[in-house]
Amino acid sequence: MPRVPERSHPESRIPLTPVELLVLTMLTAGDRHGYGIRQDVLDHTNGEIALEAGNLYRTVRRLENDGLIEPGQPPNSDPHADPRRIYYHLTADGRRVLAAEMRRLRSLVRLAEERRVIAPVPR
Amino acid sequence: MTAVAERVFAVLLRLYPKEFRARYGPAMADFFRERRLAALESGESRFGFWLRVLRDALVSAAAERATAVARRARARSHMSAHARSTTRRDVRASGRASHNDGDSPMSILLQDLRSAARGIVRHPGFSAVILGTLALGIGANVAIFSVVNGVLLRPLPFRDAARVVSLTQAAPYYSVSEPEFRDYRNGLKGLDGLAAYTNGIGILLRGGESQQVRAARVSDGFFSVLGTTPVAGRTFTPDEEVRGGASVVVISYQLWQRSYGGDRSVVGSEQQMASGKATIIGVMPPHFDFPSAEVDIWVPLRLDYDSLWTRNNHYLQLVGRLARGASLDGVRSAALALDRQWMRDYPETYSGTEPMLPTLEPVADTIVGESRPYLLALLGSIGFVLLIACVNVANLLLARGEVRRKELAVRAALGASGARIAGQLLTESALLAILGGAIGLALAVGGSRLLVALAPASIPRLDQVTVDWRVALFALGVSVATGLLFGMVPAARAARRRSAHPLKDGGRAGVATSSVKRVRTLLVASEVALAVVMLTGAGLFLRSLRELQQTDLGFDPSRLLTMQVTLAPRPYNDEEAALFFDQATRRIDALPGVEGSTAMGWLPIADGGGAWSILVDGRVVKNISETPASQPTQVTPGYFATMKMRILRGRGFTDTDAADAQPVVVVNESMARQLWPGLNPLGHTIRMMNPESPWVTVVGVVQNMRSSGITADVPPTMFFPYAQAAKSAYYAPRTMTLAVRTTGDPLRLAPAVRRVLHDLDATAPVSSIRTMESVLGASMASRHFTTDLLLGFAALALTLAGIGIYGVVSYAVTQRTFEIGIRMALGAAPAGVLALVLREVLRMAVIGAAVGMAGAVVMARLLRSMLVGVSYFDVGTTVTAVVLLAGVALIAGTVPARRAMMVEPTEALRGG
Repeated sequence: MPRVPERSHPESRIPLTPVELLVLTMLTAGDRHGYGIRQDVLDHTNGEIALEAGNLYRTVRRLENDGLIEPGQPPNSDPHADPRRIYYHLTADGRRVLAAEMRRLRSLVRLAEERRVIAPVPR
Repeated sequence: MTAVAERVFAVLLRLYPKEFRARYGPAMADFFRERRLAALESGESRFGFWLRVLRDALVSAAAERATAVARRARARSHMSAHARSTTRRDVRASGRASHNDGDSPMSILLQDLRSAARGIVRHPGFSAVILGTLALGIGANVAIFSVVNGVLLRPLPFRDAARVVSLTQAAPYYSVSEPEFRDYRNGLKGLDGLAAYTNGIGILLRGGESQQVRAARVSDGFFSVLGTTPVAGRTFTPDEEVRGGASVVVISYQLWQRSYGGDRSVVGSEQQMASGKATIIGVMPPHFDFPSAEVDIWVPLRLDYDSLWTRNNHYLQLVGRLARGASLDGVRSAALALDRQWMRDYPETYSGTEPMLPTLEPVADTIVGESRPYLLALLGSIGFVLLIACVNVANLLLARGEVRRKELAVRAALGASGARIAGQLLTESALLAILGGAIGLALAVGGSRLLVALAPASIPRLDQVTVDWRVALFALGVSVATGLLFGMVPAARAARRRSAHPLKDGGRAGVATSSVKRVRTLLVASEVALAVVMLTGAGLFLRSLRELQQTDLGFDPSRLLTMQVTLAPRPYNDEEAALFFDQATRRIDALPGVEGSTAMGWLPIADGGGAWSILVDGRVVKNISETPASQPTQVTPGYFATMKMRILRGRGFTDTDAADAQPVVVVNESMARQLWPGLNPLGHTIRMMNPESPWVTVVGVVQNMRSSGITADVPPTMFFPYAQAAKSAYYAPRTMTLAVRTTGDPLRLAPAVRRVLHDLDATAPVSSIRTMESVLGASMASRHFTTDLLLGFAALALTLAGIGIYGVVSYAVTQRTFEIGIRMALGAAPAGVLALVLREVLRMAVIGAAVGMAGAVVMARLLRSMLVGVSYFDVGTTVTAVVLLAGVALIAGTVPARRAMMVEPTEALRGG
């Protein structure tokens, strides 16, 4: 098996911070710009988590530096495309890391179910 | 509204590191715009919105900066690990500084020092200006500090000097009586020894000449409390300190050198004095100026502990040594408790309305306390001058920094971190500062000598002023601090700006970035502020001095010759003494050039003090504490006329007020007001506490005269005719001060007056020959000296600030030549260009002046204990200072501004 460079090994990047997890997850639905990510997170968490600019873009910087996301093309359907706007796209590495994190969380949830912390969900 | 909000967010973005801002700033601005719109639509409260935005910006910006710092540190250690395996490359640009951060700090420092030294040599003119400025600034500071060091810091010549304390009483007692001394000695805890002393006069008879010397009569234990070893011989033994002991005396170093030529054989020899023969048993070391620098001999006080003088007679000063573990406050409380005890035990002596308040302070305060505030004010003031000089040097370095941008950019491109470059610049600054400081130290040696020569004698311990290790350490510390101070600004700028842009723009010295302009405006404004503070301070001192000089003294001090004469060793009874002074004044009056003469018990301003309890108007009171007190003086008939004191009611003294005539007294306004408020005092009577004293009638009221010092209040004073003093005023002093009012220069008559006295009694010593005006001058000498120096420093500050403003404006004009060319090509009038430049100057000056005025108020509050007759918040002085500064700023700015006016548009456009 070819030696995978250490940097791109998904296990080395997890666990993700809560905000990193949210951002990567929202990007699975498609390319988003900063405010779009915030909107998606708000919708998904019923308005509980509202990301502000600094917090969001620091996370974006970390994810971009680690190659998990990259700037992408703005969709043609965005008539209000502000030239300052950057759309972000989940990379293959990012998808792999996200998957590794979800697997970790799933095993944690299973443990919680076994120990009756939460009721098991019928599968 | 939205535009404003977006501008605010743009400002918040500046909190983030530059790199982050460059990368995500626009996207974040776009984010904010959408966020704001959504907030408006959803009705989110404006307060809540901004709270969240602000909190997020502050927290994430701080976190991002911290991350950036950590990242840089990691990158550096990676880089050095990489570079260690490669050969180093020299940078040709300005010396061989390596950018290898992996080197030991020592080798980096050495490299920087070498490069800095080369830089200094390569720009001799520039370096000379900087070194000169620093040398003058640091040198002046060191010179002043050497005086402060000598007077305030150098240890006193006593063993463990910090533990030696003086114990006195507050007004109205001031001194301590013999029973009180004994009681303190026996009962006061916390002292390892307590001794008493009082001042007196001694008359040495040598070679047929009488020489009057200041004597200190000291109790047993005096020398052991102070703990000073004589330089020759010994001090008193216990036997010599009690009644019946041998007649011995200890002499001062000055007297030993002056009168005995430093001959060691004088120890053990006999000296003839007016009071009899005395053996000189020891010589004190030089600078042993206790109780004062003028004291020439110490003799035993010889208190009779079995028969002490009355408790009411306060004349002793006390000095003690704090025991190990005792504190000043502790002993003070113990002394207060003792005083309270006495007030309970002796109600007939102590008045309930005048409680005793013991004052305990380190003896150093007693000796130098008066000079301390003046010296510290001078030190602070010259410190400001140095700060202004630092600003000028910083501006010069900033200007050079602009020129060196390319060189520094090459270094940055080759891998030098911002911190490394900053370190190099700081090393250069430190080297300049230390070199400047070394030159300054050399200058200070001469400077401190000059200061000592100019300083008035009223500043004690001037002979201790020397450039010792403390002064050298101060010089080093000031140099390093100076270097860091003016070096920080260019170094910080270099650390921040590491981009390669300077290499791209072809090296045009071009546009001064707005941040440079801001820094320079700030620097110049701070110069202006400091100068305003200094000018205001000097102005307040000057006004204070004027107030003092114009104080109504109550007598006319001009053309008044004074001298002290003592009737000894020949014995005089009271009639003979009165006859002596009567004849002396008559003969002196007859001298050509003399308007009048008189003899008095003490000289105004120079002496004074002491008060005697008196009975009033026949009311005999047993309890001495219920009696008023008044300052006494014995004078010959010509007194009021010679001193030119106004007699407000009644008359002065005449020849008819002889020994056998009705006893009379003249009182001053204070005494009249105190004892007979609203009444005519003439005809009322007073009496000394002594039952044998006769009742004395008030025959005149005279205007108040300033006695001890100009700033002190005028106490009640009573004047007795010398001829009657022995009966009505306890005694007629044998030491009197003569005052002679002359038509011309008083000192020219001194030999003639001396001859008169010599003819009357050749053995009576005459001393302290000086004019009243020099006495006045001496009383204000410290203040005068300080004021002169402060004015000089303020003028220096003004000049430096002017030079600084000139430099900055001149440089700015050069930078903006291109812009000015464009303006003029587009039709701007030369006057408009002038106004443009001067507006800048005014802006800097106004900012600085505003800060300076606030600072001046703070400073004046600190100085207010030294100001006389001037409120510390004096609008006039502050406004004058600001106007002066504005004037200098305008002049300094006009010269380069005129140059701007004369710019040829075509030249400017071509050269840019």
